[in-house]
Amino acid sequence: MRILTCLKQVRHPESLFSLEEGRALWPEPGLFKMSACDEFALEEGLSLKDALAGSEVWAVSLGPARAEAVLRRALGMGADQAALLLGEDEPPLRPARVAAALAEWARPKAFDLVLTGVMSEDAMQGTVGPMLAELLGLACATSVVEIAPAPEGGLRVLREMEGGRRQALKINLPALLTVQSSARAPRYPTLSALLKAKKATIASHAPELNAGAGDRERLLGLAWPGRTRAGLTLEGDTAAKADRLYAILRERALL
Amino acid sequence: MSGSRQALPAGPIVVVAEQGPEGVAPVSLELVSCARALAAGLGGEIRLAVLGEKARPLAEEAARRAGCPVTVVRAPGLREFQGEAWREILAPLLAAWGARAVLAAHTTSGLDWLPGLAARLGAACVTGVEALAWAGGALTLTRTTLFGKALEALRPEASPLALTVQPGAFPAAGPAEGPEPTVEQITAEAPALCSRLLEAPEGPARDQALARARVVVAAGRGVGRPENLDLVRRLAARFSGAALAGSRPVCDLGWLGYQSQVGQTGAAVAPRLYIACGISGARQHTMGMQGSGFIVAVNSDPRAAIFNLADVCVVEDLVAFIPAFLARCGEPEAMDPPAS
Ligand SMILES: Cc1cc2nc3c(=O)[nH]c(=O)nc-3n(C[C@H](O)[C@H](O)[C@H](O)COP(=O)(O)OP(=O)(O)OC[C@H]3O[C@@H](n4cnc5c(N)ncnc54)[C@H](O)[C@@H]3O)c2cc1C
Repeated sequence: MRILTCLKQVRHPESLFSLEEGRALWPEPGLFKMSACDEFALEEGLSLKDALAGSEVWAVSLGPARAEAVLRRALGMGADQAALLLGEDEPPLRPARVAAALAEWARPKAFDLVLTGVMSEDAMQGTVGPMLAELLGLACATSVVEIAPAPEGGLRVLREMEGGRRQALKINLPALLTVQSSARAPRYPTLSALLKAKKATIASHAPELNAGAGDRERLLGLAWPGRTRAGLTLEGDTAAKADRLYAILRERALL
Repeated sequence: MSGSRQALPAGPIVVVAEQGPEGVAPVSLELVSCARALAAGLGGEIRLAVLGEKARPLAEEAARRAGCPVTVVRAPGLREFQGEAWREILAPLLAAWGARAVLAAHTTSGLDWLPGLAARLGAACVTGVEALAWAGGALTLTRTTLFGKALEALRPEASPLALTVQPGAFPAAGPAEGPEPTVEQITAEAPALCSRLLEAPEGPARDQALARARVVVAAGRGVGRPENLDLVRRLAARFSGAALAGSRPVCDLGWLGYQSQVGQTGAAVAPRLYIACGISGARQHTMGMQGSGFIVAVNSDPRAAIFNLADVCVVEDLVAFIPAFLARCGEPEAMDPPAS
């Protein structure tokens, strides 16, 4: 089976940024990682490869040159091939653009299975995967927590829904699945594979992105959310905060 | 909207009812109120579409409660929710109606079919909409982004609109004035599908103690190591009627069982007191605890989203703070002479 995994590089979630004129300003040097659910998608792809002899896993990322780091990690985890589609990600590209660029690159390669995360850790839109499926004409299921080859061909997948309810589907190939986090923890790269990945040349492509022109939605700007509750921030050292919280909870008869 | 295309669709704003195990889910009424806000600038009537085999009886109730006309859509073989079937049935229908907008709930169901449909229709697509505003004929949609820490404002520049709406963001619509809304039924062609529903295994059992707990103390990935979970457990032990819970990653890691997971794909809880330790406050988590009476958040990141809905914000490393708090709790026993 030829499997493609789409991996997004994101800022580290705890990076402190500021907002100026509706734009995010990040500390330098930035700290980056592979988006959490994409890592689970890669793990699912690698597990399928382990189970099905003759399979091949590709990793692709759309982002600036630094996004190569997630591809090297993917190679270190066991991916066979990696490709970087060069494109600036700040301000972020609209999902339809990302899907279109990925589709154009992936179409001639005729993958049997495309895997993405259910949503990116930063933007949380959940749109690139299903849009890509549509553009490539693939069967699609989202929020998938289990994938297994079906004896009769195709795949059996388990989707997870609200409240933990499950939905089981038999899906034909070629297909695109968006993967939700699960108990199947992404593997660590092996040292030998990491060393090899460090030296690997990663093919990069420069898709026609036309960022901004003809977008179906336009980002007007960012703002801090309001607080929906009192949001009393405790002051002082650790012990003083502990004292204060203790007093507040006693006062409210919660302790 | 600033769309300069000719022949903008002039049909209805279509709300696609969310279906849960008990029929039309309450969030569907919130979608109707979002649609009303949208119609204020976009015009068009609001139409609720209810799909599936059980749709008919559900539709009459939905029409009464939402106060808008309902279309029941049936198709051979279409029973319960299946994203691909929803998409394949809705795509030609929305085109035929000339829908100005299509709205779904921002759930694992809505996200299963709406983005693909948006790509097919060339629609402007925004997911997780929490607010909308019209100013000078221009629409602004607001959603959460950047790890839950910021809001982004977006302007649709194409037509139709395809939106998923965050549950809880809009009030449930009540019946409108006027005559009883109509319920029509149409039968669509059986769509050709690439997937088929199978018998699903049971999800994890729900923890009844969690649902009943007066106090819930929850651990997030910020606990860092399973050993630190003990600190959170000891914190919970200070409260009577307390249950220990976790965010999804903590359950994925196996530090707690899935029956302890709070959030969209876990349990919804509303205890008198909720203490979130090392939890960032992603929407998918807060959906399961935002109704709690009093919320305390302990997080080392001063910008963590959880602070936006906390009553008390403790910006601290939990590994230092929880022991300090436990020490403080230890004092009264030493100081207060036992009442006898
Ligand atoms: C469809 C879908 C459904 C989902 N359903 C759920 C659900 O039901 N429940 C759920 O919880 N999630 C759910 N998620 C996942 C959700 O989006 C978040 O990824 C998740 O809630 C994050 O968990 P967390 O806050 O524990 O971890 P993180 O987001 O990693 O946050 C950890 C936090 O700990 C803080 N921290 C780190 N170290 C310390 C320290 N020493 N002291 C104090 N604070 C520290 C950090 O500042 C950070 O804020 C779902 C996601 C999707 C896409």
